[in-house]
Amino acid sequence: MLIEGIYLDGKTSKRHTARLEVNNDHKITAVHLTEQQIILSFEHQSYAVESRLGNTPREITFDDEQLFVCDNHDEIDKLTTWQTSRSSNQHSWLYHLENNSKLICISTIATIVLLYGIVVYGIPSTAKLMAHNVPYFTSAKLFSSLDLLDETVFEPSTLPVKRQQEIRALMTPYLSNYKGLQPTLEFRSGMKANALALPNGVIVFTDDFVNLIQTDDELIAVLFHELGHLTQKHMTQRMIQDAMLTIMVVFITGDVETFDLVTGLPTLLLDLTYSREFEIQADTYALTLLNQHDIPLQSFVDAMRNLEDYYLKENDGKAHSAMHDFFSIHPKTSERIQLVEKFQQ
Amino acid sequence: MNPPSEISAEQNSNNTTSGNRSLGFEFRGDGMEYFKIWIVNILLTIVTLGIYSAWAKVRNNRYFYSNLYLDNDNFRYLADPITILKGRLIAVAALIGYYIMSLFFPIVAGGLAIALMLAIPYFINQSMGFNHRMSSYKNIQFRFKGSYGQAFMVIYVWPILGILTLGILYPLALLKGNEYFVRNSAYGTSKFDFNATYKDYGMIFLTAIGISLAVGLPIALIAYFVPAFSVISSLLYIVIYFAVIIYVVVSFTNIFYASLSLIEHKFEANLTIAATAKVILTNLFLTMITLGLYLPAAKVRMTKYICSCLTMHTSGSLDNFSAAEKENISALGEEFGQVFDFA
Repeated sequence: MLIEGIYLDGKTSKRHTARLEVNNDHKITAVHLTEQQIILSFEHQSYAVESRLGNTPREITFDDEQLFVCDNHDEIDKLTTWQTSRSSNQHSWLYHLENNSKLICISTIATIVLLYGIVVYGIPSTAKLMAHNVPYFTSAKLFSSLDLLDETVFEPSTLPVKRQQEIRALMTPYLSNYKGLQPTLEFRSGMKANALALPNGVIVFTDDFVNLIQTDDELIAVLFHELGHLTQKHMTQRMIQDAMLTIMVVFITGDVETFDLVTGLPTLLLDLTYSREFEIQADTYALTLLNQHDIPLQSFVDAMRNLEDYYLKENDGKAHSAMHDFFSIHPKTSERIQLVEKFQQ
Repeated sequence: MNPPSEISAEQNSNNTTSGNRSLGFEFRGDGMEYFKIWIVNILLTIVTLGIYSAWAKVRNNRYFYSNLYLDNDNFRYLADPITILKGRLIAVAALIGYYIMSLFFPIVAGGLAIALMLAIPYFINQSMGFNHRMSSYKNIQFRFKGSYGQAFMVIYVWPILGILTLGILYPLALLKGNEYFVRNSAYGTSKFDFNATYKDYGMIFLTAIGISLAVGLPIALIAYFVPAFSVISSLLYIVIYFAVIIYVVVSFTNIFYASLSLIEHKFEANLTIAATAKVILTNLFLTMITLGLYLPAAKVRMTKYICSCLTMHTSGSLDNFSAAEKENISALGEEFGQVFDFA
């Protein structure tokens, strides 16, 4: 059998029109250089046939970087099926997988389902497991970020010391059940009206927030919400989830140079979805605790309403745009109030 | 799909006798065909928990190299997936090691961070060396040999000077980077050369700034006096931003190839803003409405377009390049070339 192709000796860039000679025992015996009328013997040389990939030319490499290239896929495939022990044979199933339209349809669907499963179930549950199993000092050291926040967004609190003491006295009894989390209370100004829980147990209330709250019960409701974040290790979990998402996106698109918008937007949206899920979990936790302590659930609703009013004023009375809702970390206030109604039933 | 490159391919064969030929680059890949390879890669990468990604990278690269033709000969990608896998494992191990160190010995970790900064020029040289060695055309491998000092200048010193001079020297930093890349590259034993000037690069930046001001300022003024215009103006800014980015990318690509030479052979790129914008917008739109499934076809379309704009002006035959001597790279050096090369 003779296979037409091109021969390159690997020493110069000159191409030679060539014929590959395969004998009756299915062994490559020689390469004929047709123009020069030279026959190169390959009787005792080892060779490797590169695996088939799309419509790209077939390549056979010999010792000393010699190369034979041709487009005759059928003949080369015949050659590889005879060489059962060749490494290239292991790869031919890949080519068949890549060229079977039924399998491709199944692969596409399988990939989408797998990705969906990973994003919706795999990543959150793995992150949850990891977050609850990292030693306390890890999460504390990793995200003991109050110093950083103090340097960047926070200013010292301007609340009267008396008011701060009142709030501490009000909350301390509720914190005694959470010794394992080592919760501490801090007051700061800046960052508008906000309350946040850092993984090392620091719960920060901003001045604007304390000022907009009207009753002690509302403060307790928000404290319970933050304790919900802490006990369920949401911040640590979110960091782990973001890292896993990024790695996943890099694995999928890493080999395709893409514009950031295409890969960045889904990552951002998924992160927001995760974070809203955490808020709902923390809300549910807060409502359970309120019930346990016989505090009316209405205080949670009032706290949410007050927060919303505050932000409406901040935005000059303009209602939140749809865009803002779409990119918000928190669920909509109306959704959170609905949750309370559901919880009451 | 791509008439211009086919026409130029025909012209090439007609001009063989003259010695001076204009050869068009041509990409013969196909979006659908690459989609199949891509989706199988993703599936196997997920199923093997990321291990297959090394094989996926080789298959991707082989597809794009082997479909790139110049003078009817294709390029090849030669890397062994095992090497890439080892490089990636080293990178992951180093990352975990660094993470643990930073937890227990923050001071040591700080020292490691500085050591890493100093090591980056070395790794970049290794990586370029690997990628060049693993690329061949007409069965002759490419080579890259850069010194640590040069790499350090290009990665740190020139960009910092560019920032310190408020951007005045920034075009020079880019130019130095390209010079470093091209002048240390070789095809076999033949070195590439690069002869762009600071003025070439500076003019592109000046034009970009000029366009932004000439169009942006009037819009800002109208929006200031006519408040109702502000909705349209923010849209217009996005359009201008996009247009300027494309102008800069197109100009730099064209200048790059115009300044590139391989002994007496010259190159030319004729990307246009309109055609590039059309390709990018089409790709962006189709990728979004297919939720990312169009991504592989988008890459094929972009590659096809860019290749159809590239020409090599040869002077004499392309048959006389000879292979560089075989480099004895230690196994670890080879794998280090992959550590920072996740893309």
